[in-house]
Amino acid sequence: MLSAERMDAGHQPGVPVVRGLDLTVQPGQVVGLAGPSGSGKTTVARVLGRLLAPLAGSVTVDGYRSPGVRYAVPRASRTAVAMLFQSPRLSVDPRLSLADVVAEPLRVRGTPTAGRRNTAARSRRVAELAEEVGLTGDLLQRRPAEVSDGQLQRACLARALAQQPRYLVCDEMTAMLDASTTAALVGVVRDRVRAGSLGVVAISHDEDLLAVWADSTVHLPAHPPVATTRAAGTAR
Amino acid sequence: MADRDLRLPLGVGVLVLLVAYATLVPWVAGVDDRVTDFSAARLAPSPGHPFGTDSAGRDLFVRTAAGLRVSLLIAVVCAALSTVLGAVVGAVSAAAGGWVDRLVMRLVDGINAVPHLLLGIVLVALFRGSLVAIVASIALTHWTQVARIVRAEVLSLRDRPHVDAAVLGGASRWRVVHRHLLPAALPQALVAAVLLLPHAVWHESTLSFLGLGLPPHRPSLGTLLEEARSSLLLGGWWTLLFPALSLVLTTLAVAAVGSGVRQRISAPRRGATLR
Amino acid sequence: MTTGTITTTSLPALAVTGLTVRFALGRARGRRIPPQVHAATDVSFDLHPGRVLALVGESGCGKSVLTGALLGLLPANATVTGAAGLSGPAGSLDLLTTGRTTLARQVRGRRIALVPQSAATSLTPVRSARAQLEEVVRELCPGTDARVRADSLAERVGLAPADLDRFPHELSGGMAQRVAVALALAGEPQVVLADEPTAGLDRPLVDRTLGLLREVADAGCAVLLITHDLGALRRVPGAVDDVAVMYAGRLLESGPAADVLAAPGHDYTRELLAALPSGGLVPIPGQPPQLTDLPAGCAWHRRRPGRCDGGDVVHRTGARSVRCRALEAGPC
Repeated sequence: MLSAERMDAGHQPGVPVVRGLDLTVQPGQVVGLAGPSGSGKTTVARVLGRLLAPLAGSVTVDGYRSPGVRYAVPRASRTAVAMLFQSPRLSVDPRLSLADVVAEPLRVRGTPTAGRRNTAARSRRVAELAEEVGLTGDLLQRRPAEVSDGQLQRACLARALAQQPRYLVCDEMTAMLDASTTAALVGVVRDRVRAGSLGVVAISHDEDLLAVWADSTVHLPAHPPVATTRAAGTAR
Repeated sequence: MADRDLRLPLGVGVLVLLVAYATLVPWVAGVDDRVTDFSAARLAPSPGHPFGTDSAGRDLFVRTAAGLRVSLLIAVVCAALSTVLGAVVGAVSAAAGGWVDRLVMRLVDGINAVPHLLLGIVLVALFRGSLVAIVASIALTHWTQVARIVRAEVLSLRDRPHVDAAVLGGASRWRVVHRHLLPAALPQALVAAVLLLPHAVWHESTLSFLGLGLPPHRPSLGTLLEEARSSLLLGGWWTLLFPALSLVLTTLAVAAVGSGVRQRISAPRRGATLR
Repeated sequence: MTTGTITTTSLPALAVTGLTVRFALGRARGRRIPPQVHAATDVSFDLHPGRVLALVGESGCGKSVLTGALLGLLPANATVTGAAGLSGPAGSLDLLTTGRTTLARQVRGRRIALVPQSAATSLTPVRSARAQLEEVVRELCPGTDARVRADSLAERVGLAPADLDRFPHELSGGMAQRVAVALALAGEPQVVLADEPTAGLDRPLVDRTLGLLREVADAGCAVLLITHDLGALRRVPGAVDDVAVMYAGRLLESGPAADVLAAPGHDYTRELLAALPSGGLVPIPGQPPQLTDLPAGCAWHRRRPGRCDGGDVVHRTGARSVRCRALEAGPC
């Protein structure tokens, strides 16, 4: 179970963007998180992924509450949560081929596919994942600059699945994609959820999408404008 | 557009010629510092001695080449050492953040606050006249620029989603640094290294000119210039002209290569819109 | 294939006929590179004053190449053939054969303008929106009071004049989009091209942007809206008048928006609509084809064999036209 209890989140101590959030997701479940721009959806995603510490409250993953964030989370617990981001282009290292992007979690020390001797096992796994997300062979050898946003997001999903997560936090993963790619990616994630091996937090401003995809949806209120003269950095 | 595109090939061409001159000429002619021939001292340039001879009758065409060779060698080693040191320190500092970063950056500020030459002189004075001392004195004072550049680059990448994804994928801090952050910062670091080359040549020349570098009989561009001082008063303009010319040419060529490479790196990739 | 419009008696402001764009590919990088990218093939449509035409399709179907071709902004390795006749009070000319200098000095910004994708990043971050708008006004309409004109443009797109004094980072996404539209309108163009103006925006902003383009058209402009967001077109009835569906560089179907979205004529359009959350999130199998390896006619039958006849005949019924016939009704 991935859960947040009475969680305050924000980037500045004392200035929470999200207050008192309660959210629970079990494997086999899709929980939607909706809210307008600037309501702190991305901040919540980063806290759930334990990339950012909550300002108050707690985040637990399968009963474990990590004392720190990022590298301080023990590897076994860290890999239990994977994330997909809004911009696939910023989410991959531009120097790596798509095959290398997908293989990244498989190379990490401690996984059975790590090391020089397991190259064959690794490329088999990459091929399986690529097929699951619908990336055809030729695309795997290309660099990110040579493929479309949709193809890149497919690679990001394959990479996320490669770490064998029990929870997947999708932060606006379809915002840059066309309807057909969105449907394809959601379909892949759905199959995993139906198999009962994955719990999903689906963050989106697209209520139509969440209505179809999520079992239940948590709505974040619009963030009260901090200062009316300076619109909070939404222009980015 | 046109002169930008010419910079790199022109710089490389001149540099190749200079390196060929510096390595081939001493190798073919053979250099022995101890051989002097005072009957041939201070001869003006002639077909036999295209660059003339120095006050001890040694051929300056060969000696300038040998001097250039030593100077280039010192410069390359210095630039390489400072780059490696700077890249590692910069990347680690940025990736670690917190007090480590603050401490390293204050150290960098400290080193930058002291004039490089002064710091170099102190270091060389401790180990007088050895090549190692010169190399160390230059490398230890010049890594800070590279460290700053690499740190800035790494800082801009550290919070990007692709690093977040690597962290969640289970990568260790070290793995993220050496697989994602350092390679991304490397092109910038290499440009910095190339731009360091002429700087290192000048530093070596200055130290040797001041008598703190190599001993006078060992040719380097600095010692040659220092020697030229006495000859110049006796009308031997060539003793200054040719070593100085090769120093200036080297500087210009390397600078052209550096800015040319930087242009290439920062130029937007063509065809990226063709998706 | 012409986007016929039943009600139209006016001449089209822009008549595109048989527009074809090819990119020559350069050196091979370690693998076999086919010689040409077939970015757009035989594309024809008319833009009428007062109407909005939405060009839809998956990413990578060559939609955005069209704006580049029409504005004369494609890279040097592109070959453009066909015709794009711009006609209006200022005379008629063919955008594809007009010289660079004329395009730059007399056409772009003045007669045909672009609303770019991601408005916020297309503004200079170090100058206020007003400074940038007034600069454009001074260039495009010399002799007018730049400040007054900038204020009236701001009002036209629904911004308070005071909003113009903000810097780009102080503008919200919706305000930045409005500034981008104001910049496009500064030269009173006959034709406005909007290239994915809603990408990455959240729903209220998408709807407001569509509404804004509608107003621009109602004021007399001919608008081309390039988008992959079919959902928004469905959600905001009346936002666009006509729809053209593009796949693999060709138009597969076009016609009045209400008709096409309610009863698609081409199997591809049907599948696009079924992929929407409101259509059931049914993914389209396969992916858009490589634009380097295309059949002569409709490329859709390669992805979905047996769904259409793959012919290259355009079937017209009234204002609608469909390239090749569907063979079996898909799930819709």
